[in-house]
Amino acid sequence: MSTSKEIRSTKYLNPYVGGVLLGLVLLSANFIAGRGLGASGAVKSVVATSIRAVNKEAVGTMPFMAEYAESHSGNPMKSWLVFEMLGVLVGGFISGALAGRLKLKVEHSPKITSRRRLIFALAGGILFGFGSQLGRGCTSGSALSGMAVLSLGGFITMMAIFGTAFALAFFFRKNWI
Amino acid sequence: MKPLRLLGLFIIPMGLIIAAVPQNKTNPFKLTAEELLAESNTRNQFVTADVVADMIIKKDPALRLIDVRSQEEFEKFSLPGAINIPAANLLSAEYSDILNQDIKMNVFYSNGTLASNEAWMITRQLGFENNYVLEGGLNYWFDAILNPQKPASTNPDEEFAKYDFRKSAGQALGGGGLTAQPASDNAAPSAKPAVKPVAKKKKAAGGC
Amino acid sequence: MGPLAPNELISENTNFLFAFLIGVAFGFVLESSGFSSSRKLAGIFYGYDAVVLKVFFTGAITCMLGLLFMGLFGWIDLDMIYVNPTYLTSAIIGGVVMGAGFIMGGFCPGTSFCGAAIGKIDAMVFVGGLFLGVYGFAFTYGWWEKLYLANYLGEPKISQSLGLSDGFFGLILILIALAMFAVAEWAEKKFPREAY
Repeated sequence: MSTSKEIRSTKYLNPYVGGVLLGLVLLSANFIAGRGLGASGAVKSVVATSIRAVNKEAVGTMPFMAEYAESHSGNPMKSWLVFEMLGVLVGGFISGALAGRLKLKVEHSPKITSRRRLIFALAGGILFGFGSQLGRGCTSGSALSGMAVLSLGGFITMMAIFGTAFALAFFFRKNWI
Repeated sequence: MKPLRLLGLFIIPMGLIIAAVPQNKTNPFKLTAEELLAESNTRNQFVTADVVADMIIKKDPALRLIDVRSQEEFEKFSLPGAINIPAANLLSAEYSDILNQDIKMNVFYSNGTLASNEAWMITRQLGFENNYVLEGGLNYWFDAILNPQKPASTNPDEEFAKYDFRKSAGQALGGGGLTAQPASDNAAPSAKPAVKPVAKKKKAAGGC
Repeated sequence: MGPLAPNELISENTNFLFAFLIGVAFGFVLESSGFSSSRKLAGIFYGYDAVVLKVFFTGAITCMLGLLFMGLFGWIDLDMIYVNPTYLTSAIIGGVVMGAGFIMGGFCPGTSFCGAAIGKIDAMVFVGGLFLGVYGFAFTYGWWEKLYLANYLGEPKISQSLGLSDGFFGLILILIALAMFAVAEWAEKKFPREAY
């Protein structure tokens, strides 16, 4: 299905350069806000807001949301991570636009269908959303930021994520290679 | 040069440096030597025996007396309600919550003022607030409070008021059956220092 | 003396503004490094693309060195930096679940937002999945609560638990990472896949 015309070679940053830049971004976050980056927390904020919008009391009574409501009195959307993720959307967009990578498409291996890719994307998202709450962070917040401050919990979560992914890679290889 | 080699060339030396240099634990609240000297020279860390006696009689909850002598001396005699933190153990972790706080007024005392003032200097240098020294220590306390000298008849009225206060305080504190009269307005013990709120170190909330 | 916000050197609103700007930089760097492509992200697990490994560890090490050096110069108070807490059970189990999600979905939350921003539909679907997953967790929280709170060890640092100084552990981490990069580059040559 894929033809060499469709394959657009696109220029990405050298990964080491990208890594150094990422490290500097993370460093500035730590210096300015005293905390690292994160992503799944923003999703949690939106979920909390939506629950609150539907039923104001529910947020207080649900134990998971309750401890969250206490630390974010007022608007759960007014959280550091929500602002950060809005920035991520903008930054990603700008970078994609500058590099000519803006395109509405489903990215998948030529050996599978779009539909199959989307099903797995959904399943993966659900698992990751669930796991990130249980693990108190995702790769950005727990693994990356945690490693940078030498947190033991962050390190353990990172090992678990990558270890599991490596272990299961064989079973999902058809999706990628 | 290959990017990996370039990266390695750069970060390995940095890693070596950071591994070799001892960690610098800077505390923004610590005082410099100049600052400590300036504060020490104001003598504001001293509270008089009268003020402390008054607080004890009034059962002022803000007062916390800290005996910095050894445990034996503490057990032989101590001021009412005092706790014992021997000077040698001043910096041990179990006492940091007592010494570094903003709820109570800690007053160090010892037999004289040498040990208690030392305790004050050490804790003040670390940036702790609300620690004071009992002026004159126990030696003065015994003389002035527990065995007050009757002033000569030519002395001003304040001296007499002070004497009356001390006499009744001494009897109450020394265990004589009298209920002590709190210091009357004439005696006017010097103003009690106010408890200063401590800027707590707040960590940012984080996580994902 | 940093960090700025916890030391109240900047207001909360300024902090949020910086959060946005930092996010812009974050998103830009991620996308420019190729993290908006699920195939590149999954590449490390099959050997053909080690971008995740390289960017991740280089980033963590850069920031770690930055923090340690800043602490050395007295520019930042390291005690005030947030260190992730360690809840042993949930850290491991959550990580395993996330690992499965990663290899299936090919994204993580941060990168999925990047991918969605440039129009990748699979990234958008992944984001949708994220929300479902979080809702699911919130509503079934009662089943997991004990697991979630088990084995709280405080906020230990890896260096602390190994009995090493931060700097020394940093050096070890650097050496391990460089070794991993060398292996990864070998693997990239050995298992190439066509770019697309």
